[in-house]
Order: sequence, then C-alpha cells, then structure tokens
Amino acid sequence: MSKSIIYIVDDDASVCRALGVLLKAHGYNVETFTRAKEFLSFKHPKLPSCLISDIRLPNINGFALQEIMAQRGIITPIIFITGYGDIPMSVQAMRKGAIDFISKPFTDKKLLNAITLALSRSKVTNKKQAEIAKIKKCMNTLSPRELEVFHFVVQGMLNKQIATKRGTSLQTIKIHRSRVMQKMEAKTVTELIHFAQKVGCNTSSN
Amino acid sequence: MKKNIKWPLPKKITRSNLEEQVRQQKDELLVRSGQLKQGAVREKLGAVREKKGAVREKLGAVREKKGAVREKVAEEQIHIRTKAMESTFVGIFIIDAKTPNFPIIYANQYFYNLTGYTKKNVIGRNYFLLHRPDTNSQDYEEIKQILAQGKSFHGEMLNSRKDGEKFWSLLHITPVRDKNGITTHYVGNKTDTTLMKQRDLEIAQQREELLHVTRVGKLAEFVSSLAHEISQPLTAILAYAQAAQRILEGKNPQLQEILQFIINDDQRAAEVIRRLRVLLKKTKPTFEPLDINILIKNTVTLMMPYITARNKIITLELKNNLPSIQGDQIQLQQVLLNLISNSLEAMEESKDSHEMMIRTSCTDNSTILVQVIDSGCGIPSENMKNIFTHFFTNKPDGLGMGLSISRSIVEAHGGHLDAKNNLELGATFYFTIPINIKKDQ
Repeated sequence: MSKSIIYIVDDDASVCRALGVLLKAHGYNVETFTRAKEFLSFKHPKLPSCLISDIRLPNINGFALQEIMAQRGIITPIIFITGYGDIPMSVQAMRKGAIDFISKPFTDKKLLNAITLALSRSKVTNKKQAEIAKIKKCMNTLSPRELEVFHFVVQGMLNKQIATKRGTSLQTIKIHRSRVMQKMEAKTVTELIHFAQKVGCNTSSN
Repeated sequence: MKKNIKWPLPKKITRSNLEEQVRQQKDELLVRSGQLKQGAVREKLGAVREKKGAVREKLGAVREKKGAVREKVAEEQIHIRTKAMESTFVGIFIIDAKTPNFPIIYANQYFYNLTGYTKKNVIGRNYFLLHRPDTNSQDYEEIKQILAQGKSFHGEMLNSRKDGEKFWSLLHITPVRDKNGITTHYVGNKTDTTLMKQRDLEIAQQREELLHVTRVGKLAEFVSSLAHEISQPLTAILAYAQAAQRILEGKNPQLQEILQFIINDDQRAAEVIRRLRVLLKKTKPTFEPLDINILIKNTVTLMMPYITARNKIITLELKNNLPSIQGDQIQLQQVLLNLISNSLEAMEESKDSHEMMIRTSCTDNSTILVQVIDSGCGIPSENMKNIFTHFFTNKPDGLGMGLSISRSIVEAHGGHLDAKNNLELGATFYFTIPINIKKDQ
C-alpha cells in the first residue's frame, strides 16, 4: 500500500478531510486538495495513483480537470464523486475513461473497490509508461543515420532494399543495423518492431 | 240673430205661410229701403271670402302633399331600422314595462338564433321565464331589482339555449322613458361571447399549466440543490464513522456498535434524499425545431393579463425570418416567463416606468440573441455577480431559483444567459441560442 498515492479533490473541506481520514485508516497515502488548480500544480511522484474528484468544483470542474489531465499526459485514473448523481453526466465521464462515478454519500466498500480497480489500472499504465520512457531513451541514443535505418527495419525492409534506397553499400547498412539492435537492447527484429509499436512508430511497409 | 231669408220669395202663397211671408217681405223691404249700401258691401265681402276659400283649398292640397312625403320618409326610416335590427349579430328584444309581467313584445332574428327559441315561445313571455332556473338565478334576481329601480343593467353571464346547450353572453338592458320620465319599455341586447370566453379560458389554462411546470421545476431544482447541500455532510459523517470503525477493528465492540448506528442512520437520511430526487426527477427535455418569435408571442399572450393588470406596456421588436432553433418549447417558455415576470416586478417598484421590450436579433449566422429590456429599478452592482446563483434572491417571497434554473436551461440549449444594467433606466437580460444545433440527448 505504501507504494501508491490517493488524491482527493473536493471543494467541501469537511468531505476532503473525512475521506482522507477514512483512506488513511485503510493504510493509503493521501493528498487532499479543495481546488483542481492545487492538484494540477502538485508534483506527482511516480507511483501508482488514483484521483477521487468531485464534479462540481469552482473554476475548473471535474470534467475540465479530466480534460486538462489528458492534455498534460497525467494518466492517473479518476473516480468521480457527486452530490447530484445525474446519469447523463456519469455517461459522459465514463466515456472519457473515468473508473467510476459514485453518488454521495457512499460506503467505504464502494469507494475501496473503485480504488483497488483504479490502482491496478494505474500500475499497468505506469509500467507501460515506464517501458515507453525506456524505449524513447534508447531511441535518443541513436545517430540520425541509425534512426533512419531503425525506421526502415521496423517497416520490414531487407538490408538490400535499404542499401538501394539509401544508395550506400550493403556492408554499411549491416553495421548500422547491428548498432541499432545493440543500442535498442533488442534481441530480435520482432522485439524491435514491438518497441516501435509501443512508441507509436509507423511499422507498416509501403 | 239674423233670420235666414229665402230670396226670391216663393211664388206660391199658401194660407198657412201667408203671415210669415208677409212678415218676411216687410223685413226685406225694410232692409232694401234703408240700406242698399250694405248689399254692396256684402257682395264684396262674398268675393273676398271666395278668394280666401280658394287659397285655403290650395294650401290644403300642399299640406296634403307634404304629409304624404313625410309619411313616406318615416315609413322608409322604420323599414331601414327594422332591417338593421333584424340583420345585426346582437340579440335585441323589447320589453313592455307597463304590463305587470313584463312581456317581450319584440325580438329580432338573432335573438331567436342565439337562444334557440321561436317567436311563438318568446313574444308575450317574460324574459326571465325563458331561462331555466338553474342558470345563474342570482344574476336574474339582480337584474330584476335593477330594472325595478329604473336603472340599466350590464353584465356577462352563462345561459342555456332552448336545447339545453350553454352559452356565454353579454347582456345590456336599458329603460326607455316617455316625455314624463315614466319607463314604458326596456330594450335589451345580448351578445354571444362564448368564443371569446373559450379563448380566455384556454389562455388562462395554458398559463396555469406553464406556471405549474415552472413551480414544479423550481421545486425540483430546489430539492436537488438541497439534496446536494445535505449529501456533503452526510458523506463526511459516513466517512468519519467508517474510518473510526476501521481504526477500532476488533476492539471495543460497544463503540463499534454505536458507529454502526451512526452509519445506518446516515444511510437512512441518504435514502430519503435519493427518493425525493427520483420523485422530482426532471423530465427529459424534448428538442424540436422552434421559431423563437412565435414562442415569444405565445408567451406574451399568456402573460398579457398580468402585464395589463400592472398597467405596463410590452413592445415586441422581433426580427423577421429568423432561422429555427432546436429547443424544448416548455423549458424555453419557462425562461421567457421568468424573465418577463422579473422585469414586471422590477418595474413595479418604480412608479414612472411602464414600458418593457423583447427584441430578437441574429448576431451572426450561428446565434440568435433574445433581449428582455425593462425600465425598472435595475440590478444593484453588488448583486450582479450573484443573481444567477441558487438561493440568491432580493424578493421577500422568492426562492432564488428562477434565474439559476433559467440559466441552466439556456446552457442545456447550448446558449448563454446574462444580464446588464441599461445606460439610462432598468436592466436587460439577454440569452443566446445557437441555430439548428442537433442535440443527441
């Protein structure tokens, strides 16, 4: 449990504090905010996390916060809580990837279930995120020419084809290629293609 | 006295008239001998008298002619007036006031059409007997009394036709007096007001329905806001109690039980609120193409009695050929109703302001702008930012829901509602509605 963090955003200070007390009693790390802005300016540690946010907030409401987080690449899963409980609103929130939409007041069981789900999703996305970061880091070590060869290789081109296209000798391409494999820490071409897919490179031959 | 003398004397003289004849002759001679002059005078007089006679004769002829002409004119006028009375769409009847049971002595064709009675049913009968006792007998008593005092009566009432069908009519009864001031007749006229009355009733009903919807809407919004306000502390209480339960897990069963009671009652309160919310659940708005100008006209028609009762004037300045919008008719009518009644109330406070205006315009190709402009007391600047919030009101009996509901309705239509004070007098509330934006919900 210590390896995760729960954020709570609710403009009602009492609700904020009560949820904080409840979740701390269950052993979670908790950070509470009464404004969306405060949450956004908080420096997020790289831990599996989950955001519990009220819908109606002053200035930036819950949905706006959801959008800003998407724009900034903050991938923390969101559990919305609301005192209104309108169904169309919940549909909208879920469509945009919220974990759950809970009407106030709610029991701890309901909230804890949602948190468990959110954290496991967060772990998965965090892992993916870390992987992507690592691949991107490796890609940054490639020289411009190596990067070019990398793109050709993941598109399924043979050394010969690449050499023809680049107008260089087959031998040069072979050297570049082995360096790419080395730097990207890939054992096979298949693995290299997987890496490329994860960071969103074009892997289809044309 | 002068004797009547026959001249010349009768030739035959009988024994019986001899004496008389002699006496007459004597008389005659007496006259002739002394007074020859008198005869000439008498002759002249005769001529004069003759002339006079001729003149008198002529005058008589002229008079006769004049009389004939006058008679003809009178006849024509009576004809025209009767014709007019017969062809009018007002039921006219005349009552003989000198006969004790007040019989009707004349009724025009429309009176028969209106009441369904025939001439045979009506003439000679009392007007009040024509109507069944169940229809407004009080009215009739009142009319009888007024008529007995020689005054005129004016009023609207519900009547029955001969076949029993009900109709509304406007009745005037006026006394007709002779030169001595004695009432000889009453003239009644009866106008059919059923259609007008029906229209009035329909408008009143529509207005009531709309007001009802508005009231229910306000109540729902009120409950929804209240529910939100209460659910916040309930959430906190529940969380605190469950946190305490967690902390005390396996310890102090008595405190655990108390905490459970707190949790149960918290949830009971939450359930009450949830049920209330379901009960007053807002009906889903139905979006359909609407002509905003027609909607404004209809709403103003509904509000007209209120506007005229407050002695205010409303002017519509509606732009022609506005494109249609997608909207919920009842909800948008609620917004207009709310803005108009707010304006009326704002103008009530200042005595000199009577006029308000609704204006529509097309700001660009995608938005319609509706402005409700009044000449009332305006909005105090310190209230400006609060007027659209829940529970904010400066009216002694207001809930503070009207404007916040209006704003949420306009926003649900993809528009915006706002207010500003006018440069000179009063305030303007204005909202925008996008043109023909399809809503999928």
